[in-house]
Order: sequence, then structure tokens, then C-alpha cells
Amino acid sequence: MIALARKTLIYEWRRFMPVAFAVGFACLLQLLQVSLVLGIFKSASVQVSGSSAQLWVGYPGTATVNLGRPIPEGVEALLRMDSAVTRVEPFWWEDGNWLGAKGNVAVSISGISPDPDGLLYAHVLAPAIRARLREADSVIVDRADLDELGVTVGDSASVNGHRVHVVAESRGLRSLSGINVLASLETARRLAPDTTEAGRPTYFVAQLGDPRNADMVAARLCCQPAFGPYQVWTAADFARRSELYWLLDTGAGAGVLFLSVIVLAAGAAISGQALMAAVAGSVREYAMLNALGVGLGNLRWVVLEQALWVGTAGLVGAAILGALLLAIAQSQDVPVVFNAYVTLACILVALCVTGVSGLAAVRTLRHAEPAMLLR
Amino acid sequence: MNTIHTPEPTLRALGVSKSYTTGRLRTPVLDELSLSIDSGALTLISGPSGCGKSTLLTILSGLQGVDQGQVHALGDDLGLLDKPALERFRLRHTGFVFQDFSLFPALKACEQVELPLYYLGMSRSRAQECARQALDEVGLSSHRHLRPAELSGGEKQRVALARAIAKKPQLLFADEPTSALDAGNGQIVIDILHGIARNHGTTVLCVSHDARLIRHADRVLCMEDGRILQDSRTFPNIACPQ
Repeated sequence: MIALARKTLIYEWRRFMPVAFAVGFACLLQLLQVSLVLGIFKSASVQVSGSSAQLWVGYPGTATVNLGRPIPEGVEALLRMDSAVTRVEPFWWEDGNWLGAKGNVAVSISGISPDPDGLLYAHVLAPAIRARLREADSVIVDRADLDELGVTVGDSASVNGHRVHVVAESRGLRSLSGINVLASLETARRLAPDTTEAGRPTYFVAQLGDPRNADMVAARLCCQPAFGPYQVWTAADFARRSELYWLLDTGAGAGVLFLSVIVLAAGAAISGQALMAAVAGSVREYAMLNALGVGLGNLRWVVLEQALWVGTAGLVGAAILGALLLAIAQSQDVPVVFNAYVTLACILVALCVTGVSGLAAVRTLRHAEPAMLLR
Repeated sequence: MNTIHTPEPTLRALGVSKSYTTGRLRTPVLDELSLSIDSGALTLISGPSGCGKSTLLTILSGLQGVDQGQVHALGDDLGLLDKPALERFRLRHTGFVFQDFSLFPALKACEQVELPLYYLGMSRSRAQECARQALDEVGLSSHRHLRPAELSGGEKQRVALARAIAKKPQLLFADEPTSALDAGNGQIVIDILHGIARNHGTTVLCVSHDARLIRHADRVLCMEDGRILQDSRTFPNIACPQ
């Protein structure tokens, strides 16, 4: 069999280029949008995903990590009594008012252990940088937030009226929930607003001897009324809970979904029209084949095959451009998450868009009547 | 009704009428036309534009149905065949050549000719052999690897002819095959059409208002206003209205 679809595409590539562009851009938009959304919502749980603890204990019903409330200090003893737990750390989470060269900025203060093997932010904070928090009134901020805070490393600013020094910068702390200012537990206590709940941590995090037992230990540690109000989550559950809160409860998810549908519809419409125009250019040749007895069913397959080849070409272009753009985004500290499943889903969706475009183009064959070839 | 009878016809029209409707306007094109056409001869239908000659060709070849009457091709009543059956009939038995060559720009001459053969279920080697023979017959063996952009108008029409005859059809229909060609190329195409009828016993039905074709035809049917005015087997003295 002559590969009519492929040969036509290669020889008349200019005619089919708009289709490849339309499919490629539709896929690229989807991929970038989903990567950005995942990155942004993932950043909402950076405190959890960036830490090496397997269990999080916080106030019951806490919807997202930044909405935590102080819990009883006695919970620490409960955690330490469990034989599966090998390490426990408190986590202070306070709201703060940063006053720098650019004026007042609302920030979140994370009070963490400055020990080199500290659990909190273990994945985003190098031990040497973490150790700088031992200095009195020292803080670390993300390099992407320096400009907004109006400081550089070595500068001083004021948080809740207390003087702090920016001793280092970090990467990967940028969060949807606001600017993160890292401090040691002692510094965080000093910076905390003077309220009745001051002096009580917001969370306790725990490391287990065998991380695979996280679900079982979390279930075992829950429901001890004698220790006051608290709830235990595995790190994975708490991170997902935080991300879903931002995605579903804030309306952002509906917005993203709406935008995705718009992108898909626009992609399908543009690529469908472009493919129809490209197929219409060959309608006389198709009519000739039909006159010779080649069935319309066979001709439809040629058009669908063309659509899929064009779609594939567009996807290859989108993949290259997408990788480039994601790399640029990451280098600029834009929160993006590249996920193989998401990429595969985007490719499948784009191929579906191409298929729909191909089916629309097949309708053009209605005009491939052999009688049109007669003068 | 005007009836012209010939022995052993491969194509037969009996009382065929056809009209086209545009809005409320109904325009009759063929008026109870009956006709028989033999194999092994080049039959030319000539007449002025709008006389219905192209419509007659589409009806006799199964490209279009009739309003009234019957069409028999190779013994089959085309009116009884549905669309897929008509496509199968055309695939097995008919070849077409049109004024506009309708060649795929991306395909080489040999591929243009091979393409329909694969839909007949031919093997690659058999299709290539048939295509080679057809291109030989139209004198384009040396051009078999050229694409349409590299061929002259006459050569393109010969490739279209090779495509039409490669499957050795019993019926070959040609609509204005020489109208877009210069005298030299027109003559070559006429000779090939004549040769196909004589050498293969093919029924060649050609529609044209090209006067050059008349003296090469075995039979000339002159049409006007949807009717056959004259049927002549004694060319070249016939003069159809143009």
C-alpha cells in the first residue's frame, strides 16, 4: 500500500503546518497550565513535602498547613511514648508583619529546629544553612522573596516589632500561602505576637523507625482525649489535604478546570478548521479515487491517519518547547511540577483533540463527489 | 424516444431521464434517452456545452443515478446497486480520465498508478508490475519516478490514463481528456485511447467537444438538448453541433 497520508504530509508540509501548530500549542498550553497549577498548589504544602517527618500532629480539622492553631504541649509526650517514633520536633507557625525597605509585608514565621538533622524543611534546607539559624534573631528567606521583602542577605528588618537579620537565602520555600520566614524555635517564640496561645507549638512532627508504618501509627496515635484537642495525619495525607483545600475550597480549581475546557475547545476548533482546510485542498484527488471505486470509508481512514500524524508532529514540537519553558520557569523559581502522568494525560488529550479534528475534517469528504470532476 | 441499437452492448441505457433542480427551477438534462455501446471501440459523445453529454457519462459509469429509466453495465442493472456496491463495481470494472488530471502532488508517477490497485487487493509486486505495464503503454516508463510538478500537462494526462487502465478495466470513461492539452499531446492521448479499445477490447466512452477527436473515434454520437441527434460509424465526415 502507498502511504498516501504520510507522503502527502511530508511533501505538502506547509499546508499541514497550521494544524500541527494548533495541536502543539493546545497541548503545550494544557501541559504548562497543569504544571503551573500543580506547582502552585504543591507549594501550598511545601512545609510538609519539604520535610522528612512521616507524621504531622495539629489542631483537629486543620484544612491546610498555614491554617494551623496551637495544640497542647502534652501531645509531644504521647508521640515520644510510642515505640515506633524515633524523633519528635515542634513546629511554630505564626503570622508576622515584616517591615523592610519596601514597607510592611505580611509573612508567615516558621519556627524550626536548627539542628543539622532537623526534620522540618529537611529537603529544601542544607544543614550548613540551617545551622545559621542558631545565631540570635537570624532568619532565612527564599531568594525569590528577597525583592518583595526589600532586603538582601546580610540586611536587617523588623518582624512584629523585633529586629531580625537575614543570614541566608534558600530555594524552594516559595509558597502559595505567602512568604515563609524561617527562624529557630527560640527566635520564633520571641517574634510571636503576645497572645494567650503564645508558647504553644502549632504542630508536632514525628519520624518513624519504619516509614512504611505511618498509616498504622497515625491510626494508633489518634483519639486520646486525655491529651487535649489534636489530630494525627501522615505527611502524605496532610500534604494532599492542604493542596486539595487550595484547589477545591478556594475556587481556584474550578477556574483552572474552566480554563482547561476553554483551551481544549479552542484547540479542537482551530486544529479542526485548519485540518478541514488542508483536506479540502486534496478533495479533487480524493474524488478521483472515489470515481475509481476507492470507498469513502477508505478515504476517511487516510484523513484520520493524516490527522494523527499531524497531531504527533505537533506533540513532538510541544514536548521540546514545553521542556524548554519548564526549565526556564524552574530557573526563575516559578513553582512548576513536571509529572509524567500529567504529561501523558496531556498528550492523550491532545491526541483526542486531533482525533476530533480528524473527524471534523472527514466531513469535508462529503464534497469529494466524483461528479465534481466533470466539466 | 430515439433508440440506437448495436449488437453485444456492454453499456445500455433504456429510456433514461435526468433533471437537476435548483430552488424551484427544474432543468431537464436527459430526455428518455436509450443507447447501447459496444466493447472494443472508442465511442465519442459530442455536442455543445450543456447538452447533457457529461451527465450521460456519469450515469453510464454509475457515478450518478437516474430519475427514470434503466442503465445496464456489463449485465448489471446499476439502479439496483447501493452506493458501496456501485463503488465495488467501479473499482473492479471501470477506469476514469478527466480533463483535470487529479494527481496527488506527493506521489511519483508509478505510485499514482499503483495506488488504486492496492484497494483491489493486489500484492505489492503485482501492483508494481501492472503499474509498470500501464506506464509502458502510455510511453512514460522513463518518467515513473517523477512527481506531477515535474511533468508537463500532456504527461500528467498520460499518467492519469495509466492509472485508469492499470487494472485493465472493461469500461473506460473519459471526460474531455484532450481539452487541456496542445495538439501534439492531444493526439498522443487520442491514439492511446484508441489503442486501448482496439488492443484490450475495452469499451471506451469519451465525452468531448474537441473536434480533433471525431476522426479518431469508431463511433460518434451527437447530442443536443438531452437527446442523441445523430449516431455515425462513418467518420470523419460527421459534423456535430458545437
